[in-house]
Amino acid sequence: MAEVGQQHPIKVYFLVWLLLFVFSAASYLVDILEFEGLLRWLLIIIFMMLKAGFIVAVFMHMKWERPTLITAILVPPLVLLVLMYLLAYEADYAWASRIVYFGGEVEPIPDSPPSHASAAH
Amino acid sequence: MAEAAQTGQGPLTTIVEDWSSDVTTFKAVPWGKAMMWIFLLSDTFIFTSFLVSYMAVRMTQTDAWPVPSEVFALEAFGYPVPLLLIAIMTFILITSSGTMAMAVNMGYRKRKVAVFWLMFATALLGASFVGMQAFEWSKLIMDEGVKAWQNPMGAKQFGSFFFMITGFHGLHVSAGVVYLLIVAIRVLRGRYDNTSFEIVEITGLYWHFVDLVWVFIFAFFYLW
Amino acid sequence: MATAEIPYQETVPLHHPKTWIGKYVFSQDHKVIAVQYGITAMAVGLVALFLSDLMRIQIAFPGFMEWFVEDYYYQAITMHGMIMVIYLLTAFLLGAFGNFTVPLMCGARDMVFPFVNMLSYWVYLLSVIILLLAYIPGLGGPTGAGWTLYPPQTITEGTPGADWGITTMLASLAVFIVAFTMGGLNYITTILQARTRGMSLMRLPLTVWGIFVATFLGLLAFPALFVSAIMMILDLKIGTSFFMPAIVSLGQTLAYDGGQPLLFQHLFWFFGHPEVYIVALPAFGVVSDLISVHARKNIFGYRLMVWALVFIGVLSFIVWAHHMFVAGMHPYFGFFFATTTLIIAVPTAIKVYNWILTLWKANIKLTVPMLYALSFVLTFIMGGITGLFLGNVIIDIPLSDTYFVVAHFHMVMGVSPILAIFGGIYHWYPKLTGRMLNDFWGKMHFWITFLGTYIIYFPMHYLGFIGVPRRYYENFDSSFYPASAQMLNEVITWTALVVGAAQLIYVANLVHSYFYGKPAGDNPWGANSLEWCTPETPPGHGNWGDKLPTVHRWAYDYSVPGSEKDFIPQTVPQGQSS
Repeated sequence: MAEVGQQHPIKVYFLVWLLLFVFSAASYLVDILEFEGLLRWLLIIIFMMLKAGFIVAVFMHMKWERPTLITAILVPPLVLLVLMYLLAYEADYAWASRIVYFGGEVEPIPDSPPSHASAAH
Repeated sequence: MAEAAQTGQGPLTTIVEDWSSDVTTFKAVPWGKAMMWIFLLSDTFIFTSFLVSYMAVRMTQTDAWPVPSEVFALEAFGYPVPLLLIAIMTFILITSSGTMAMAVNMGYRKRKVAVFWLMFATALLGASFVGMQAFEWSKLIMDEGVKAWQNPMGAKQFGSFFFMITGFHGLHVSAGVVYLLIVAIRVLRGRYDNTSFEIVEITGLYWHFVDLVWVFIFAFFYLW
Repeated sequence: MATAEIPYQETVPLHHPKTWIGKYVFSQDHKVIAVQYGITAMAVGLVALFLSDLMRIQIAFPGFMEWFVEDYYYQAITMHGMIMVIYLLTAFLLGAFGNFTVPLMCGARDMVFPFVNMLSYWVYLLSVIILLLAYIPGLGGPTGAGWTLYPPQTITEGTPGADWGITTMLASLAVFIVAFTMGGLNYITTILQARTRGMSLMRLPLTVWGIFVATFLGLLAFPALFVSAIMMILDLKIGTSFFMPAIVSLGQTLAYDGGQPLLFQHLFWFFGHPEVYIVALPAFGVVSDLISVHARKNIFGYRLMVWALVFIGVLSFIVWAHHMFVAGMHPYFGFFFATTTLIIAVPTAIKVYNWILTLWKANIKLTVPMLYALSFVLTFIMGGITGLFLGNVIIDIPLSDTYFVVAHFHMVMGVSPILAIFGGIYHWYPKLTGRMLNDFWGKMHFWITFLGTYIIYFPMHYLGFIGVPRRYYENFDSSFYPASAQMLNEVITWTALVVGAAQLIYVANLVHSYFYGKPAGDNPWGANSLEWCTPETPPGHGNWGDKLPTVHRWAYDYSVPGSEKDFIPQTVPQGQSS
């Protein structure tokens, strides 16, 4: 284990440091300028991923690691995307059921069984 | 990667060769660093579980969700500036990440004193981050009346998730400050003189991870 | 594949304890820690066994034990399930077998961070103590919510142990996860970074592969449980509403509002399904090794076995909601999760076929470990096939919450891993202590346990089909059950009592053989893997004496044509036969 070090020019660190400030300021601006809807979310996510990517790649030295370590660490979290996607998918359904069965203002669905209609106070 | 470029191998070949070699799978990675990386992987699952729960509860919420940029606005020069404190906290954490990265770099140059001061500065910035968080919490609790179990502005889960997630992150930062100080003092005392300074890099990995988590909390909690 | 890399462990000095306490109590030696884990897990497992016998008596002879009221019954269910799954099976397979086999089979001197490994055991012991604190008299006893701990009923009044019991349970789980993380990081890092010369991953015995994949699953799945435990404690203690919807309990409108109970189930099973494989995969690995050693034949399809383990591990993260088909989740999920669940049958079936093909025309020695390994395969096939029933939404819905489910999961993840654990103990005990376990009493223990579990769980499938619900304290007016159902219940209970008592044979055997057993020698089974090549038996501190072993072949060179003995240890160079 002779060369275990991660020895890199300081310039790179300063550059990334600066970039992190810029991206943070940019995502902050998204809020101040009151972007709304898809554009807002897209920008937030893009800046978030850029920041996360630079931290992992440069500060945590992932960029210089062997692909073995990179894949071993970065691939397993992908299963979390399944969890996230499915829970988001289900959340719409749960929200809709709450509106239908508990929400006062919304009309009950005409063909829903009577027991449910009584549950919607 | 650098080696692979020299020998002209593709990354896939490197991966296959590393996994099928003897003694070590992660070449030139010390035990402690491998262990820290795997721990961080596990920790990623903890924070993601928190954030996914937050998503699921917020999306199923029928009560109104407060607008974070208004809740976390701070009075400055007579105007409410949205997310002012959060912005400062974010910049502090990024700054501390930078000093930590420099400490790691200095570590491999064996400049002990520089390592010590840089790690000390990192710990100091981390501590000030925790302090500001405490201020933010007390402001939210005292002035806005948001508690973990109630929220005058709408859905009570807003407070619950806010305190739980930032609290858990704050615990990570606090633990990191202690960890940093211990390592910094040990470095100064010359405990690692005869070995490599990989411990500084390992500490750095943890610290950058804490910063990384903040990036996600900042985006999903304060901006969304 | 010979590289010139020097194992890092040759350059680090080993921690050498000087006092007796340092050697045997606060020991950093992985073998001692393995024994500590094993004894603690077995002790707490006996508690759970006792609880199950109490429940069986209540089910078959309601009213026989008048003091055993409803609350006790539900508390017994909960504690039995949780102890068996987490504190016995997970702790034994990973804590005891993991600690014992990983460094020995990889050719390491110890775990990479022995101190953290030691802490892992003591934190585990702490979690067991916290769990048992629930039984402090006067505080309402442990929680009776069932081991799945579903809110809202878990923390509403009326559920036994809704205050103290659930608090200790959740705290204990959180502490256990900390302990597991410390141990698990060690196993993974040792397997990946501290193997000896020549030991590539594809030369590792399947036991290590099973433990490796299972530990990895644990490190990624336990976080979800950790998070849900924290959120539930907050719901309980400071009144947040993560999981609690607006709810009326005992005529009172509670202060909760807007929580999502389904979220808990998702998080719990996102942990819970991988947990099934955390228990099953090490058992797969152990059984593969036992079958190969005692059938004197190389394991059939080694690479496929490894890939099947990995594939099962990956798939186990995307099948979780098949535990929730009747929970009221999104209706479309049934299709997705039934599909992924049934896909898991493919790698699992590959493993079963490979075991059977390993046995095909082999020189089978019916030693006690082999009997256990064979019974594992049989039991696992049984439990696996009923899993196909329950994995299908349409069949699952009528079978939900009947004894069919009880029979299924006891067969597949209760009895099977226990049989693998027994097999492993009978197999490695000679290496651990230097003495053989008594063969006659071993066989007695085996036949009573194996046949007994079949008499217990086989009829439960039938009970499930006729609709006997699980978790019922007493089936009062159940005139629609045929009389045979009650008779079966009584038979099951009598058998359960006999099987429970038979475990005392095994405990006595362990203790007696430690002092009076036949000396085992270095390699009583004629096995190839590295743990049988240690210079001393039992292996000394540091395992390998002065020099780390060098590995030249895989662990399965049995009955190689042309060699004088029917096994060639891993340390023998290629081209030589002994």
